[in-house]
Amino acid sequence: MTGPGDLPEAAARRLESGSFSSGLTVPDFGACLQMGLRPVGLVQGFCAMQWSWYGAGSPYMRGMSPYGTSDGGQGGYSQSWRCPHGLVSAEHRAWGQNYEQTWVESAWLQGYGSAYGRLIEEAKEVGAHGIIGVTDTSHNLADMNVTEFHMLGTAVVVEDAPAPPGGDPWSTYLAGQRLAKLIEAGFMPISVIAGIASVRVWAYCMTEYLMEGRVGTYGWGGATSTQEIEQVSEGHLAARALAREHVRRQLGSDTLHGVSITTAEREVGSGDQVLECTLRGTRVRRFKGFDPMPTPRPTVRLS
Amino acid sequence: MSADTPLPIDVRTEMRSAAAWLADGGSAPSGRAVTSDLTIDEALLLHSIGWEPVELVFGVSVTSVPVGVWTWGRGEISTASDAHNLAVHTAAERLGRECAKAGGHGVVGVQVSVEVTPHHVDVHLVGTAVRPVDGKKPGQTFVSDLSARDFVLLSNAGWSPLGLSFGASFIYAPRRDAATAIRQSSQNIELTNLTEALYSARESAMERMQASGLAMAAQGVVGVRITEGPMRFARHVIGFTAWGTAVRLVADNHVYLKPDMVLPLDDAVVQFEAQSLRGR
Repeated sequence: MTGPGDLPEAAARRLESGSFSSGLTVPDFGACLQMGLRPVGLVQGFCAMQWSWYGAGSPYMRGMSPYGTSDGGQGGYSQSWRCPHGLVSAEHRAWGQNYEQTWVESAWLQGYGSAYGRLIEEAKEVGAHGIIGVTDTSHNLADMNVTEFHMLGTAVVVEDAPAPPGGDPWSTYLAGQRLAKLIEAGFMPISVIAGIASVRVWAYCMTEYLMEGRVGTYGWGGATSTQEIEQVSEGHLAARALAREHVRRQLGSDTLHGVSITTAEREVGSGDQVLECTLRGTRVRRFKGFDPMPTPRPTVRLS
Repeated sequence: MSADTPLPIDVRTEMRSAAAWLADGGSAPSGRAVTSDLTIDEALLLHSIGWEPVELVFGVSVTSVPVGVWTWGRGEISTASDAHNLAVHTAAERLGRECAKAGGHGVVGVQVSVEVTPHHVDVHLVGTAVRPVDGKKPGQTFVSDLSARDFVLLSNAGWSPLGLSFGASFIYAPRRDAATAIRQSSQNIELTNLTEALYSARESAMERMQASGLAMAAQGVVGVRITEGPMRFARHVIGFTAWGTAVRLVADNHVYLKPDMVLPLDDAVVQFEAQSLRGR
């Protein structure tokens, strides 16, 4: 599958069948009809990506210089630390580096973006105005170094309303009452958005010692009491801040609503880690003026 | 319907006009984008007291625990408690700094994740920076693990959150001498050494939490959560942590929220039980 109009035949037959399917729960389905949204089909998009860590353009090594970057010249985040001990031995980690793995982020975004593109394509096929209740998952297939991205949602038509510009449907992770409240509050969903950041931590001597509890061993760790492991803390902060920055770039001046954040860390050696942070949410835009809600009335249930 | 009662919103009409607005180009607002992990209910509640979300903010700190700390000993393991406190305070400080940098006046709905491993303590805080819609700064920047709903209730009652209060204590499970252990092996008896040690450790964690609240000039700590149990990697060590949000009365007096009592008319779901046919 390389471009538009290349959906599987089964998908085209299903979408043309005349009946609809929906991934909504019955209460969400009821709320959807209440809002004047008519479900027209369950739509989905897939993408299976090979994860080639050592592939072309993947600088899966530290940079040659503690003063340079290791992101393959792609302008990502990079930060270096120098050993405070001076020359000790060839095995001594004289310097360490945190850097953004931009090629991992690009591959993830390609997978997510392709699955999303196919979801939109299926929705356009059935003439939908929007896709509600979107879910997205990514998981490893068998033991093949392959990750599959899967997006699913319910395509809807807004009764008596014109089609969105260019025929491209809007999309949202929300459905049911939560979507109704969003509309009541004056926000229109634009699209689902996700961003990932991947940061590699190459430990220098201090990080290695501190992560292994070797504080004060032969004096290498410095103080014998507890202390912050700065390189790792900075790596975690950078991964989160970069993911936030990546979704911000897709947002323009809109609002990202209901963000969910997932983080993963993988140890790959003494103090060496790969830190990943993924943010997902619905990009929304205000379509009517700010209308503050009346102060809610506190109540106590007697049942 | 009285004159000041707002008219109910027709969501079908709203949806149609929103779709028409989008089809017409749907111009984006000016200004900086907003990111928030609040639900729409929480965002609306915040708006009802004149606050709005600004930015998703983070605070992380990883601190080292020297090797040998978890081996057998007596009493409290002060190094582990120190590592915990250092990690929490550093992470909370960073969260507050991120909030101030984003133009927020406080952080609500903070998800607190604390992981104690043999060699380091990891603290991760994620929350949403919020500020008053009118831009007025109500006081010092605060960090709280209150949900948006709790923050609204607290504000309406005249109180303000000040910051996160934390306390931790790690102790070795005390051992009895061999003679006592043999003597007590066939008795149903209180192990006073264990009771006293656990009691003291719990109190220490809570005392530290309260002390950190007092250091912020708080009058109390609300929403206290306590975790306790043996360390997964050292079963002879029991860890206690307690945290909550330090609060202070900012109104002249506490404002009593007078809730209306409601009796829902929907029936509770009653499942059919075949046994009831037999009169049981």
